Amino acid sequence: MGRYLIRRTLFLVLVLIIVSFLTFLIFYKLPAGDAARRVAGHRNTPEQIAQIRVTLGLDKPWYVQYARFAKGLIPWPGFFLNKDIYYSYASFIPVKEEIYQRLPVTITLAVGAAVLWLLIGVPIGIVSAIRRRSAWDRAGMIFALVGVSAPVFWLGYLFLFIFWFKLHWAPGSGLEFHAGLLQSIIQGKFVLAWLVLSLSFAAFYVRMIRGNLIETMSEDYIRTARAKGLSERRVIFKHGLRSALTPVVTMFGMDLGVLLGGAIITETVFNLPGIGQYTVQSIFNDNYPGVMGVTVFATFFIVVANLVVDVTYAFLDPRVRYA
Amino acid sequence: MKRHWRYLATVAVVAVVAAACGGGGGGGGPSGTEIPSGGIQAGGTLKLATPADIQSGWDPAKEYEIIAYELYRCCLSRTLNSFRLEGAPTDTNPVPDLATAMPEVSVDGMTYTVKIKPGIHFGPPFQDTEITADDFITAFGRVSSDVGSQGGYPFYFSVIQGFDDANGDPAKITGITAPDPQTLVFKLTQPTTDFPFRLTLPATAPVPAHAAEGHIKDYGRYLVSTGPYMWEGSESLDFSVPAEQQKPVSGYEPNRAWIWVRNPSWVSERDTDPLRPAYVDRIEVAVGGTVEDLANKVDAGEIDFVYGATPPSTQLQKYLADPQLTSRLHAEPTGAIRYITMNLAIPPFDDIHVRKAVNYVVDKDGLRRARGGDTVGELAGHWIPDMLTGGLNAGLDPYATPNGQGDLDKAKEEMKLSAYDSNQDGVCDDPACESILTITDKAFPYPEQNAILTDSLAQIGLKLDVRMGDRYTFMYAKCQDPTALAAFCPSVGWGFDYADGGTYGEPLFSSVGIGSSDYSNLGASSKDLAKWGYSVTEVPSVDDKVSACSQLPVGQERLACWADLDKYLAEEVVPGVVWLFDNNVVITGPRVINWTFDLSGGIEALDHIALAGGGA
Repeated sequence: MGRYLIRRTLFLVLVLIIVSFLTFLIFYKLPAGDAARRVAGHRNTPEQIAQIRVTLGLDKPWYVQYARFAKGLIPWPGFFLNKDIYYSYASFIPVKEEIYQRLPVTITLAVGAAVLWLLIGVPIGIVSAIRRRSAWDRAGMIFALVGVSAPVFWLGYLFLFIFWFKLHWAPGSGLEFHAGLLQSIIQGKFVLAWLVLSLSFAAFYVRMIRGNLIETMSEDYIRTARAKGLSERRVIFKHGLRSALTPVVTMFGMDLGVLLGGAIITETVFNLPGIGQYTVQSIFNDNYPGVMGVTVFATFFIVVANLVVDVTYAFLDPRVRYA
Repeated sequence: MKRHWRYLATVAVVAVVAAACGGGGGGGGPSGTEIPSGGIQAGGTLKLATPADIQSGWDPAKEYEIIAYELYRCCLSRTLNSFRLEGAPTDTNPVPDLATAMPEVSVDGMTYTVKIKPGIHFGPPFQDTEITADDFITAFGRVSSDVGSQGGYPFYFSVIQGFDDANGDPAKITGITAPDPQTLVFKLTQPTTDFPFRLTLPATAPVPAHAAEGHIKDYGRYLVSTGPYMWEGSESLDFSVPAEQQKPVSGYEPNRAWIWVRNPSWVSERDTDPLRPAYVDRIEVAVGGTVEDLANKVDAGEIDFVYGATPPSTQLQKYLADPQLTSRLHAEPTGAIRYITMNLAIPPFDDIHVRKAVNYVVDKDGLRRARGGDTVGELAGHWIPDMLTGGLNAGLDPYATPNGQGDLDKAKEEMKLSAYDSNQDGVCDDPACESILTITDKAFPYPEQNAILTDSLAQIGLKLDVRMGDRYTFMYAKCQDPTALAAFCPSVGWGFDYADGGTYGEPLFSSVGIGSSDYSNLGASSKDLAKWGYSVTEVPSVDDKVSACSQLPVGQERLACWADLDKYLAEEVVPGVVWLFDNNVVITGPRVINWTFDLSGGIEALDHIALAGGGA
């Protein structure tokens, strides 16, 4: 187990290096990328642009530029997302400050939605699987179809229009000034966002759990369990569900990891100042250090989530062992 | 002009087709919702929202956006000169603000002496510090810095002796001296009659030297106010610790919120400021959200209006159609234009008849419909907006067509006179017309406008080779660069930094603007044209006319000079097609009264706007 963890940690570092390098290449070296011109604004001269390029360090060779950014990825005080390199080119606001301030919002959104989609997706998936072709199953599948088909941006605006603008059942988008996270949650500021985000994910989970459970319930060992006289409830929950949920754990870990890197569309639609919204703002403003910081941050979450999932596997599925 | 970039770009993104009917609201000065019979009651919180944060973190030396300009003027930063918005709606000339009077000018026009009002103090935490001449010198020092003014407008101050060599060191600006704490003397390198206008620019607002230390990049979050409002939390700024240990104001949450509260220093010295009534007690601006979402918040009464973005078409239609709501729709001319440039050094645009033919054939009304309809502005027929020429060219349109929809017959008549129509059928038959390199913004509404232009120009044989891309990294880059050989740039806008024709004349039409804002290469020398790879050896120049106007004193003669240049450009030079005088369009909530438009800035004046019943 120890060797496995070390191996996976080294793998995490490798992935971060590759992702950071690719991100650097995409945003710095592709033709569209000239942050100096963006910062210089409309009324500029070649001399001003050249001067800004020097100020931002964009006049250096590409490997020097990458090395400066890579240094900021080392998880060590004074290095990690240091404000000498990782700052908005226009406003000079440090990327780390932006990410740290926004992370709680993103975590709240992601975790809340994750809880909700599990609460919705797992029961519906189970009911659909064990009551195949029943009205419950049909309803579950229709829910899944709608959830999968409805894009988040559409569903988000629809929910805002109906539940905030027309019915006044929920608060509108955005958070109150200076409001703490708990206060925002109590004010119901996350409710619609949680709901919208969780519906699309829950739909996937319904379909996956249904499929897995149906397949598992036709396995020989399930028949054996029934033959031994176990109750149907015990067969389903003790033997069937445990096996059927293993791939769900993988999926859940990955999904949560991705969302912790920023639910870009949901945060934009509901104007939640999280990492996803920052990503969009950074891309639109050619704030490359912001994009770099967020990308690496998101990658970190995904890789760590992967690691956690792999470790969890061992407990859920005895067939999985770590060499 | 650059301060309009965000405004123009924002409108480009959000403006959508609106009903083709007249805009509501007023045309400057108090208008909109009626002022109650009991008069205006001060107080309350003005609640606004804006889709995106400011570009440069609120540093006055860097910010070059119209919404920042206005917020500095109205609220945060008093300057030596400013503008009086009430009483004379069309007066966009500067008046003294922190100065006791307008500057005294030497006979040679090279020395300006300004007296500063005594007894005026900075806002917290410098409430005990009186504003003196040195604080202005500190501000100019910041503006002279390459880093400090990154993206800003230091070029307006290059006329001050030593400014260009100072690079952040105020002591090196030999052209600014303070003989005593209440006197500033500016020595210029050349006569600059619009210099009093330049002293209205927010970057020139006084800065306490102690506060500026260590904040060459990020002073915006540590800004010490001189206006009626200050950042919430300003009183907690602690400049006694090293800059890296200081905590910024709590009222500015990047990409989330701007909050301003009353500046107690200004309140106690209110009688020194006759320009800003500052009715509301507090201004809150929520940052972020889509324009549609924010429009719904106005409708729902959650916010008073959206700042710095045009309402979406559905909302515009609703307010235009409902007489009960029309008074809450405000559309006022900003003094900005939208236009299309033609590169005079590239055939067939080296022929004035082709350029005139293009002016006749373009469907200006179609371009406006694509942008949002009548509400977004008035169709334009000349280059310099009327407010900068005293209205002397009002109504001038040498290429007027029925309803602004183009006149093919007149266009063909012009084309027949050109050297590019050998068979005289009114359609260009020269290879130069086959593939005209057109560089444009890819954002809305430019693709739609491109389609209209392509159809229009095809009727006279001009075929566009359209390349679209990001406004900043592609469009500006290609259109600005004379070596990129861009022939046609249709997604361009321009506004003034202060209300003087010089802010149009020099950057747009003189050789000084080549490589930056003169996309037509007007005024380029034969030598330069050859160096840049053009086959055309000569292009028109109005450098001498621009220079002559620039040297005239501010007043009627100067206005007339700019008007003459404007007419000459429209009739004799024709560097492009100017098609729209832009409007600022805002829909307000029911609480807003005394709606006032700041003509000097081209945007609503937040210090004059009040709330019904004092916001109670």
